[in-house]
Amino acid sequence: MTDQYSARRYVREPARRVYANELREVRLHFKDGTDEKSPTYVMLPTGVRCNRIFVCGEMILKEKKGEDTTFYSVRVRDPTGIFFVNAGSYQQEAMQQIARIEQGSFVAVVGKPVVRSMEDGSVFVSVRAESVFPVDRDTYRLWVDDAAEQTLDRIDAFRTTPDSEKAAEFYNTNPEIYRQMVAAALRTIEF
Amino acid sequence: MDAYPEVIERISQKITDKGVTPDRGRIASKLNLLVKEFSIPIEEAERTVTNEMMREYKLDSIPRSGGSDELTEVASAKPGAWVTIEGKVVALQASPSPSIAQKGIIADASGAIEFVVWAKANAPIMEEGQWYRLESAVVDEFRGSPNLKVHSGTTISAIEEERGFIPQMTPLADVRPGVVSVRAKVIQLWEVRHERMLQTGLVGDESGTTKFVIWKSDGAEPLEEGMVYTIYFATAEEFNGRVSLNLGGAEWCREEGADIEVSRREGKTITGAFVHLGTGTGLIKRCKVEGCNRALSRQNFCPVHEIQQDFRYDLRITGVVDDGTSAHNVLLQLAATEKITGLSLQSAVEMAENNPLGLDDVFIRMQELLMGRYISCSGNDIEGTMLVRDGDNIEPVEFDTARHAGLINRAGTPAGGAQE
Repeated sequence: MTDQYSARRYVREPARRVYANELREVRLHFKDGTDEKSPTYVMLPTGVRCNRIFVCGEMILKEKKGEDTTFYSVRVRDPTGIFFVNAGSYQQEAMQQIARIEQGSFVAVVGKPVVRSMEDGSVFVSVRAESVFPVDRDTYRLWVDDAAEQTLDRIDAFRTTPDSEKAAEFYNTNPEIYRQMVAAALRTIEF
Repeated sequence: MDAYPEVIERISQKITDKGVTPDRGRIASKLNLLVKEFSIPIEEAERTVTNEMMREYKLDSIPRSGGSDELTEVASAKPGAWVTIEGKVVALQASPSPSIAQKGIIADASGAIEFVVWAKANAPIMEEGQWYRLESAVVDEFRGSPNLKVHSGTTISAIEEERGFIPQMTPLADVRPGVVSVRAKVIQLWEVRHERMLQTGLVGDESGTTKFVIWKSDGAEPLEEGMVYTIYFATAEEFNGRVSLNLGGAEWCREEGADIEVSRREGKTITGAFVHLGTGTGLIKRCKVEGCNRALSRQNFCPVHEIQQDFRYDLRITGVVDDGTSAHNVLLQLAATEKITGLSLQSAVEMAENNPLGLDDVFIRMQELLMGRYISCSGNDIEGTMLVRDGDNIEPVEFDTARHAGLINRAGTPAGGAQE
C-alpha cells in the first residue's frame, strides 16, 4: 500500500538541455526539503533548477581510472565546450554501456550534474552518468537545436520566475552572453 | 475582529461598484447574526446580506450587478457567471420536463451554448432562426458542459435586424464538452447496438479523430462513409475521459468532392527524447489463459494462473520520453514498437531464441536503437502513462532546417544590438 502511494506521488525530474559552457558556470547547488530523500538541484545561470540533464556530443576521450574500484571518466564535446562525465561502481549500467562505445562516437548522456569544490578552492562541475549510448550525427544536430531552443526559452523567461530571480542575484547573469553562446553553437551545425 | 473579512470585502465591493460607500460595520454585524445566531452557511449568508444591503441602498439586486449589462461572447461564458449575450437561436429541442419551457442552442460568431428556459421564468417563447438579446442569464454546468439558464430575472428581447455570422469551427483535437461546429470526414461506421440509435462511428480531421452518435429522430439522416461534412452545433459530451459528438440537434452539409487528410493520432502528443527504458521493455511472454493476457515472469509465472508452459510472445516498450521540462511515462504497444525500432516481433523472437543472452539481448538492442533518440508520439493517458497504440501514433523526429534557421534568427536578434 505504502509503495503504491509513494509511487503515485513520485514525479520524475525532467532532463534539462544545457550546453557545456553554461553547465561549467554552475556554482549554486541546494536540496529541496529536509528529507534524506529530498532531491538535490543545481541552479543554472539562465535560471532553472536542474536535477538531471540530457546532453549530446562527441566522446573525445574515454579513460578507465582507479585501482581497487574502477570508474570511467569520459569527455563529451558539444559546440560550446566539454562535459566531464563519470560512471563508477554505483553506475554499473552506465559503465557497461561506456565500455561498449568507441572513442570518437557521438553519444547521448543522461545524468546528474555534480558540483565539487577542490582543495585549492576551485570548483569542478561534472556529470554522474545514468546512461550513455551512441547516437547518430542527426540526433546530435537535433540536440544542438533542442538545447538552443530551451536555453533561449530560459533567457526569455529570465527574471520572470522565482528561480531565475535567484539565479540573477547569485550569478549576476548577463543573458546576452548566453544568447551569443547559443548563436555560436547553432552556427557550427551545417544544414 | 470581523469573522469573514473576505466576504465583507466582496459584499462592500459589489456595493461600491454601484457608486455607494457601504457601512462595513453593518455588513459585519448582519453576517455575524446570520452565521453565529442562526447557523446559516456562510455562502447563503453572503447572498442574503448582499441582497439586504442592496435593498437598503435602493440598488438593483444581484442579477443586474457584477457587470452583467456588458455583452459577453458566447465562447467566453463560463459556469458561475451572470451574462448578457446576443445570439441566434440555431436549434430548439423538445422539452424533457414540464419545468422546462424551452431547450435549445444559441450561437454567436464566437461559439454556441445550450440553453434552458425555466417554465417559472414566464419568458416569451423564442423562435428558431431569430436573434435575441438575453440579459442577466446565468451560466451553469450540466454534465460537464456549460449551459445557459433563463430564469425569472432574465430579460429576453428580440433583435429585429438581420445579422449574419459564420460559426466558429473547432479542430477535433480541441473539442471540449459543449456545443461545437466541426469540419470532418466520416472514416468509419460501426455496428449500431441500440434500438434508438441511428448511426455511430468515427469522424476525423487534420488534428485527430472523434466518435460520433446520431440518435433516431424525425428527419435524421445517416452520414456516408468517406464523405466530408461541415457539422454545425453538435453537442460534445465526455465519458470516461473521452469526448464524443452527439449530432442530435446538429445540422450538417456534405461537401461534394472534398477530402481531408485525417490524422490517426489519438489523445495528446509529446515530442522529446527517450531518456529511460524500463525493464518491461522488449520481448515478453503473455499468459494464454482466456481473458488473462498478463505478462509472465522470466520463470513463466503468471500472477493469477501461476506457471504457464504455454505462452504467446509480445513486443513492447515501457520508457520515459523527456521534453526537457517534463518527463512522460510511455507504453508502446506491438505495432508502435515495431515501427519505431524497425524490429518485427518475429525477428525479436529469433534473436531471443538463437542468442545466449536471450530476452536481454532484445532489451539491449532496443536501448541502442532508442536511447537518446527524439520521437513524437500520441496517445491517451492511463494512470500517468501514455498508451501509444499503433504505428500511426509514433514517428522519429527528423532534423528540420526551417526550425534551425528560425532558431538562428531568434538567437541572433539581441534585445539592443545588431546581428554579428
